[in-house]
Amino acid sequence: MTVDVAIILTPFIFAALTPVLYRFISKKYIGWLVLSVSFILFLFLTTYIPRISDGEVVAFTHEWIPSLGIHFTTYLDGLSLIFSLLITGVGSLVILYSIFYLSRSEQLYHFYCYLLLFMGAMLGVVLSDNLMVLYGFWELTSVSSFLLIAYWHHRKASRAGARKSMIITVAGGISMLAGFLMLYEMSKTLSIREIIGNVEAIQEHALFVPALVLILLGAFTKSAQFPFYIWLPDAMEAPTPVSAYLHSATMVKAGIYLVARLTPVFGGEALWFWLVTGVGLFTLFWGSFNAVKQVDLKALLAFSTVSQLGLIMSLLGMGSVAVYLGNSSETIIYTQAAFAAIFHLINHSTFKGALFMMVGIIDHELGTRDIRRLGGLMSFMPLTFTIALIGSFSMAGLPPFNGFLSKEMFFAATLHIQELNIFSLDSIGFLIPIVAWIASVFTFVYCLIIVGKTFFGKVQLHLLAKHPHEAPIGMLISPYTLIVFVVGIFFFPNLLGHYILRPAMASIYPTFPTTQELTPHIHAWHGIFSPELWMTIFVIVVGILLYRLLKRWKPIYRALPQNLSLNSLFNNGISFSESFSNRVTGRYMTGNLTDYFVYIFLAFLMIVGGYFLQTDIFSWSPVDRESLEVFEIILVLIMIASSVGILFAKSRITTVFLSSVLGYSVAFFFIVFRAPDLALTQLVVESVSTVLYLICFRHLPEIRKEIQPKWIKMRNIFISLAVGATVTLVGFAALNYEKFITISYFFNDSYELAGGKNIVNTILGDFRAFDTMLEVVVLFIAGLGVYTLIKLKAKGGGTNEN
Amino acid sequence: MNNIIVLPLIIPIFTAVILVFLRNYIVVQRMITITTMIAVSIISFFLLELVQREGIIKLDFSGWKPPFGILFVADTFSVLMVLTSSIVTVFCLLYAFSTIGERHENMFIYSFVLLLVGGVNGSFLTGDIFNLFVCFEVMLMASYVLVALGGEKVQLRESLKYVLINVIGSSIFLIALAYLYSTVKTLNMAHIAERVAEAGQDPMLTTVALVLFIVFSLKAGLVLFFWLPGSYVVPPTAVQALFAALLTKVGVYALIRTFTLMFPHQPEVTHTIIGIFAGATIILGCMGALASRNVLTIAAYNIVIAVGFILIGLAVGTESAIAGSVYYLIHDMVAKALLFLLVGMMVYLTGEKLIDHMSGLIRNYPLFGWIYFLTMLALVGIPPLSGFVGKVLIGKGSIEAGSYVLLFLGFASSLVVLFSLLKIFLSSFFGETIITNEDKKPLPIASMASFIALALCMIAIGLGAEQLLVYVQDATNILVNPSIYIDAILSES
Repeated sequence: MTVDVAIILTPFIFAALTPVLYRFISKKYIGWLVLSVSFILFLFLTTYIPRISDGEVVAFTHEWIPSLGIHFTTYLDGLSLIFSLLITGVGSLVILYSIFYLSRSEQLYHFYCYLLLFMGAMLGVVLSDNLMVLYGFWELTSVSSFLLIAYWHHRKASRAGARKSMIITVAGGISMLAGFLMLYEMSKTLSIREIIGNVEAIQEHALFVPALVLILLGAFTKSAQFPFYIWLPDAMEAPTPVSAYLHSATMVKAGIYLVARLTPVFGGEALWFWLVTGVGLFTLFWGSFNAVKQVDLKALLAFSTVSQLGLIMSLLGMGSVAVYLGNSSETIIYTQAAFAAIFHLINHSTFKGALFMMVGIIDHELGTRDIRRLGGLMSFMPLTFTIALIGSFSMAGLPPFNGFLSKEMFFAATLHIQELNIFSLDSIGFLIPIVAWIASVFTFVYCLIIVGKTFFGKVQLHLLAKHPHEAPIGMLISPYTLIVFVVGIFFFPNLLGHYILRPAMASIYPTFPTTQELTPHIHAWHGIFSPELWMTIFVIVVGILLYRLLKRWKPIYRALPQNLSLNSLFNNGISFSESFSNRVTGRYMTGNLTDYFVYIFLAFLMIVGGYFLQTDIFSWSPVDRESLEVFEIILVLIMIASSVGILFAKSRITTVFLSSVLGYSVAFFFIVFRAPDLALTQLVVESVSTVLYLICFRHLPEIRKEIQPKWIKMRNIFISLAVGATVTLVGFAALNYEKFITISYFFNDSYELAGGKNIVNTILGDFRAFDTMLEVVVLFIAGLGVYTLIKLKAKGGGTNEN
Repeated sequence: MNNIIVLPLIIPIFTAVILVFLRNYIVVQRMITITTMIAVSIISFFLLELVQREGIIKLDFSGWKPPFGILFVADTFSVLMVLTSSIVTVFCLLYAFSTIGERHENMFIYSFVLLLVGGVNGSFLTGDIFNLFVCFEVMLMASYVLVALGGEKVQLRESLKYVLINVIGSSIFLIALAYLYSTVKTLNMAHIAERVAEAGQDPMLTTVALVLFIVFSLKAGLVLFFWLPGSYVVPPTAVQALFAALLTKVGVYALIRTFTLMFPHQPEVTHTIIGIFAGATIILGCMGALASRNVLTIAAYNIVIAVGFILIGLAVGTESAIAGSVYYLIHDMVAKALLFLLVGMMVYLTGEKLIDHMSGLIRNYPLFGWIYFLTMLALVGIPPLSGFVGKVLIGKGSIEAGSYVLLFLGFASSLVVLFSLLKIFLSSFFGETIITNEDKKPLPIASMASFIALALCMIAIGLGAEQLLVYVQDATNILVNPSIYIDAILSES
């Protein structure tokens, strides 16, 4: 057991301990305990930075199911280090914030238990090298996210949001599992490193593209890409610290992690490029476009998260062309997109985390997040206002904040990519920068909305539940820490670039020899003629214009009919599948025994009869007339007559009579075939049952004439005849099957073997005595059963026994 | 030494007879019953180790050598099934003690349960197809009584249907046996396998195999499951759980045996049909689970889905797929028993069956709620719980064989399983509490113990996959190489 395994296990151990510990620890301290766990992990992870930035990787394997190649392998390289630091770092800040945010009357130990569970699962996702283990942790993040969204599960909306997120992300996870299994089938290994190691071997495989699509489905659902993003706005029912942590900084980035991690595998494929870039760009646009119409600050931030995730996703897509182009001095420029992706990922975690905490403060102090009720809070909450201002402007891509740097790199990447002439980029590549620019305008607009509608304008005290006042210091520490990073990264971006981003680039482009070239020097200023600068300037100008004219163009949001939105499609889809299933199930599960018999016989006919008909095995050898005795013909005729007669019998007595005729005829057959003891048995059984029937039937009412539509009668007649015919014809064919000699020749020597002259007796009493014994058991059960059924009658009224 | 093979059948049956004479001593009955089942579990485990060490062992009754006499065969697959069913029975009994009520205990319910288990174990162990029929009869006769025991109106109605449908099933079984005997002219399964292989499984033999397929499909609830949701929800909870864990699984076991050992030579016909049936079962089961708002019915349709899923493995037929089926079978026996015990307990605690009439149970019974949650995750196949390895193996096998439709159906069904069980969790366990602390019924400790024990089994089957896989792979090896089985039975004769 090494330290890296401990990193994953520690949160789980404490998650298991919290429900126990809370009995002994005051509610005041439980948060601090959890905080210390997370913070120590963070500090511990920082000690890896120098080693990892020197190009080292730390791997450790603990065997779990070696016969299936499933190992518990931890693998710490540049990419996983960034994510681990974010998970524990932002995690610590969120826990600190939550200590002040959550009321002590809540069931805090549940909250912290889920949170630790999530932290461990998320660390597991980014540190696992084995696909199956990664999948396990992946689903575990969905599960813990479900629990956290449903934390206030007495609220209906919380439950609905939790369900939606669970269904969508688990569906993605299952599809991803199928994709992983296909990767396994192609590469014969579950280790990501080994798969990357021999990518050439799998690229031509027929399963390569299906695996790609299935795995992307997993990544897109988790990272809330279009059209799967619909769970994320509903997930905002979770307590705000959770939204800040899972639904903006960490869990939703698991999909990004996966795409980055698998870029070396799938990066050369055009489909990968277009799916990741295209879906990412559209999500970027769609999220920002929809964010503008939101009135709930948290929903607005949710859509902005969707949009920003799309941005990062599209950057990774653009970066993947470098894998296709291979390593050369001209292609290095395309790797910068991936660089920008990771850079923006970090930046997004800082400013979005701060913004969520800001919204949490407003919600907490004012009791509402509705921007129609808010306004003019700048003078009441100056410190909170600062957070909002810096966070929003960074998100909008303004200097001097870190968002500006990565946004500029994003613009640069979109401009570079359209110049390529592969993957049909020469024909539609020009759309990429245009969509990016339009989306950025909307981003700018909603950033203005966050700041403007909340902090400027007139304060409407009568709409607020509480008098506005500044937040307690405890809730401000965490967002301010993040704000420091927002500003700090702007001024010292290359420090981050060198120690953190560079090793991650080595993980995304393992085939590129030196990482030094892969790490561009980040500048804030690219000269007055740089196109990305002008794109930013136009974003600002147009953005301010649109914000001013917001009222004029807002009606376009009503153009899309409400019942066509993805949300209603999802909900209607679920209710339709439920009602459709209900109709179908109700249709065939009639509870009517006749129908059930029809199903059995239809299955028999279709499978046995169908197969029998289409093979040519029917054979029929007429018995020669000499051997046929007169009795036999008479017996057969009697049997036919009585069994046809049963069908037309009007009273129970007739039915019993006719069926006993049938039984006795069988007994006669036994006599004809010289098996007197069988005949005797049959006679006894037949006599006893006839008498029993006659006694019982006296107590039953007359048979009611069944009234059935004619077609049902015809159907039943047809099925009965067909089944009878099938059984008979197969029987004839079986009789003529002469490939083997029977084992019964052995029993001819019964006297020698078992000391009995009667072969039937010896079979029943010796050769197959075990069957006979068990048949006796069956009779025993039947007898005992009848006894209990008579004795144990249900008590009247409701019985309470289970 | 070989006589040990018959013990899992004989001990329960003998004890059942003894219990009849102890009718009024309920505590003694309980003690004897559970001791018996623990003993059977231990014996089965011992038998498993023995089979591991010595390979397939058999017991020829009365010393008549195969193919002339009846015999019991212990290979890894059958013993694994016996072991799992015995362990599950122990915990279902534990649950029954605290909930079933004296009225039933007075009426030989433990005898019937033991007889049922005897029949089930016999079906797993027998190496003779006519004896399989007889063991089925023992099992079915006991189950008829158990469905009807209690004598409530709905029980009688459902039990009548159950009995009649199974009588039809048994008749078709008899017809199939008649065909079988008149074609291959033997009843010993290994001998049948040998002769079928010799004849190259011509269309006539395949027709016979298909008749058997219909019979076992009816028992397993493969497409022909319509009798299941009605009859499984009427008996007492512990009995429901036993049915859920054991009865359909015997049918699944018989299908796997039939189409790996005796009739594996025409997969383009038989295995295609199995695949189509498995797919249809999954679709219909999923629809049933989606449609229902009754906890018991939802759980019953989940059995149906699992049957379809397990048989994907058989239809696909690669080594990993079969291993997946075996593994999933073990998981499903444990997890379904637990699921039925849990939903039965919900009904017991609230007196309601519809999810809309229950709410906030997790506040009243936290541990109970979390065990339900865990069971749900295991049934969805989330690692490291028990459903995962089987699911991965079946998925892997489907990919190897290129059966993408079945792969899709199987994996998509996990989502419906999640959806249907989450529906119960969200509306009945989460939400506002409607039971006040004064009205709260206490949850019997013995029931809780059985929940915990079964939950631990689920975790162990998942985490200890490597240890279990040794057995599963051994079982699979025999299933995909039927000559091992045939040689072990027939070589000396």
